[in-house]
Parts: sequence; structure tokens; C-alpha cells
Amino acid sequence: MEPKEIQTKLLALLTGVAPDIDPASIEPSKNLRDQFDFDSMDALHFATAVSEAFAIDIAEADYPRLASLEGAQRFVEERLAAR
Amino acid sequence: MQVEFHLPSLGADMESATLTEWLKNPGERVRHGEPLATVETTKGLIDIEAYDDAQVLEHLVQPGTKVPVGAPLARLEISGAPQAPPPSVPSQPPAAPAAPAAAATTAAPASSAKTAHARISPAARRRAHELGLPLETFARSAAGGIIHVADVEKLAPPVASAQGDARAAMRASIGMAMARSKREIPHYYLSHAVDFGPARDWLIGHNAPLAVKDRLIEAVLITKAVALAAARIEGFNGYFRDGRFESASAVHAGAAIAVRSGGLVAPALLDANQKDLPTLMRDFSALVMRVRAGHMRSGEFTAATITVTSLGADGVDVLFPIINPPQVAIVGAGAIREQPWVQGSQCVARPVLTLSLGADHRVTDGRLGARFLRAIAELLAHPELL
Repeated sequence: MEPKEIQTKLLALLTGVAPDIDPASIEPSKNLRDQFDFDSMDALHFATAVSEAFAIDIAEADYPRLASLEGAQRFVEERLAAR
Repeated sequence: MQVEFHLPSLGADMESATLTEWLKNPGERVRHGEPLATVETTKGLIDIEAYDDAQVLEHLVQPGTKVPVGAPLARLEISGAPQAPPPSVPSQPPAAPAAPAAAATTAAPASSAKTAHARISPAARRRAHELGLPLETFARSAAGGIIHVADVEKLAPPVASAQGDARAAMRASIGMAMARSKREIPHYYLSHAVDFGPARDWLIGHNAPLAVKDRLIEAVLITKAVALAAARIEGFNGYFRDGRFESASAVHAGAAIAVRSGGLVAPALLDANQKDLPTLMRDFSALVMRVRAGHMRSGEFTAATITVTSLGADGVDVLFPIINPPQVAIVGAGAIREQPWVQGSQCVARPVLTLSLGADHRVTDGRLGARFLRAIAELLAHPELL
């Protein structure tokens, strides 16, 4: 999967679990908790969506890697490359 | 028997609401608990659920109208024998998908508008509402995709944003409820630190083999522990009304959830003490999604018998929560942090959770409050009992 495709998919997943954020306002490098007040339920929703959409397992210990959109991109790229 | 259906109060802070959409047209049947109409409040869109199985006879208020709490919205026929719907309005099954264009009837706008809701992001819907653009404008162009704020802005006349107004309305509404609470309820506060280690270890072990979607979060364990303790120790679960405390038999735990555009809401997790953790987790997850989508249900707003408020991982150690009237207690959970903890004669680092209680002195005293907090702590020390 191309990086651009992963990026687009991640953005759609994020706005899917947080429909109350304006996608244009997302700063990919910024922590979602700081930026959008993500709580543990939001984080779990995002992790669930990423896990299902890319068919990858995400251990609880890896949740911090999904803290920002950029972090999530690197994580997904690594996981897909390792397959 | 004919009855009027009134706009219910969806919280101590609600004075009025704007009817945004009828979900049931005259002639259609509605079942107990099924949404009848959607109203816009300072807390977002809320589906108003019917109290009884009924048939809609007449709408008394049109979409776009702002009405006070208690105002009649519709006339309903409540009986076992359904009346035949008027010939001009074909009745539709509740879960009917959007009517195809060829089958467009007088009943069609309701279902197509409903589809529009599912496809327009709440931020976009709010913006559309601010701009006075009807949702149907977007429904036709949705074509399977989600309409975002940017799409709405394309159709917007160049005017200043009114987003600040919605935020101010939410603040005013919280202010009203909390001012009432502080004016009427003689609060007392207690706090108690607990070693969250056993619960955390249990949670890690429980979650490890599970798919992400089936995992539990700390807030669910805390809510369940509060609900169980509230069911066991009388005086914290129920309402103070008309000068006396009415204990509730069911425990509907209000979950304080921060709203991103500002403020918070505390809809209820029904029968929280009776549900197993996976079920409670699913309910909690769905509740948060409805809050995020800005579209909740009336039942969950009026049902809470006690509230649990959690600061989350980046919060502070302890909070002093204010009761949500007419409830009589609220339990706070601070951020869980590694802190020095004495175990035997050793000082060790443990994940510490500080629980707090705001309770109504007209109903209980600190002594009973302490028993209540200790009961919650005891349950968290034995998470296998939750």
C-alpha cells in the first residue's frame, strides 16, 4: 500500500471515530490528546478502526504509537512492511 | 386514548429546545423507547423517545420551531388497537431505508432527512444550521460520502462564524445546572486513595488475548465498581425531590463525557450494576460515539441516578465533583499515576487512583460516604468480582 493511500485511509478512520473534528484543522504531527482532547475511549476507537482497516494486531503497549496521525502512519507502514 | 406528547426536560439546565426533525409522521406507529422526533439543545441533537406504544395523530410543532420544556409537540393515540393511517400518508416500517425517488410520497422527506443525518458530520451539520442551510441541500449531494464542514462552507454566504454562540450556550447551560446544585444542595466531599495495581494487572491480562475492539478500559471498571457499591449502600443512588430522598432501585450510572466543542454531558449507562464488563464496555463505547456524533437519546439524559466523572490520564490527582441535581451523589476518579505507596513496611511505587465523592448532606453523612468510597475501593482491589 502506498504511503499516500495509508494517509488518506488513516484520516478517514480518524474522522470516522471523531466526527466532531474538522479534518482541515488536523495537524498530523501533533498529539491527538493535546489537539482534540482525545480520551481513552477515543484512543481505543481509533486503535480498533486502524486494527480492522489494515488487518493488523495492535497490542496495548503499542497504543502510544497511534498518538498522532504521523505516528500512526509510521506504525502502519512498519507493520505492513513486516508482513 | 388521545394524549399530548410534551417536550421532556433533558436535564436541570434545559429550558427549551428547537425541533429539528419529525422521525414519525401522522399515521405512523411508534413503539415505547423508539425516537419520535429530534430536537436541538445546547448539548447537541437529541432523539426524543416515546413513552408508550402509540400512533401519531398530528404534529403540533413544525421543524425549526423553538419550544419551552413541557410544550405539547404532538397528539398521539395510545391504545392496543391501531387506527388505520390517513390514506394520503402511507405508513412506513420504522427501519425503512431511504425511499427511492420513484416511490416518493409525503412520508419520504422524513426518511431522506434521516439518511442525511447519518452522512453529515456533526461539525458540518452545526455549521449548516448556523448558516440556515436546510439539511436536504446536502442530502442529495451526499452520494455515499460524508459531508464535512468544508463542503458546507462552499455553500456558505461570507458571514462571520457563529460557533462561539453554541459554546456560550453550552457554558450557560452548565452554569445554570451547577448554580442550582450549589444553591440547593449542601455538599460534603471525601476522598480516598486506592492502589489501582490489582485492577491494572487484571485489565492487562484480560485485554492481552482480545481483539482491540473487545478490550476494556479503566473507566469501565471504575464505573462498574461505583454502580455495585451504589446498589449495596443506600443513600447515594436516586433523587432528592419535593423535600425528600427517593432511592432508586436500578443503578443508571451517568458518565461525564467531555464535549470537544466545549463543556460536558453526563448521559446514563443503564443498569450499570447488572451488566457484565464487556456489555458495559459496549454500552459506554456506543454512548461516547453518540456524544461525539452530537446525536443522543432523550432516555439516557433523564435516567442517571448517580454520576461518575473521570479526569483521564492527563488529569490531576483529585477532583471535587459537584452533584448533578436531582441526583444526590457524584464520584470522581483522578488521574492514575505512579506514586509512593506503603506496603507492609516498604515504600513502593504503585499506580494510585484517588477516588472522591461529592454527596448530599440532606441524605447522608460523611461516615456513610466513607463506607461508600471504601466499598468502591474494595471492589477495585478485587477486579475479578466486578
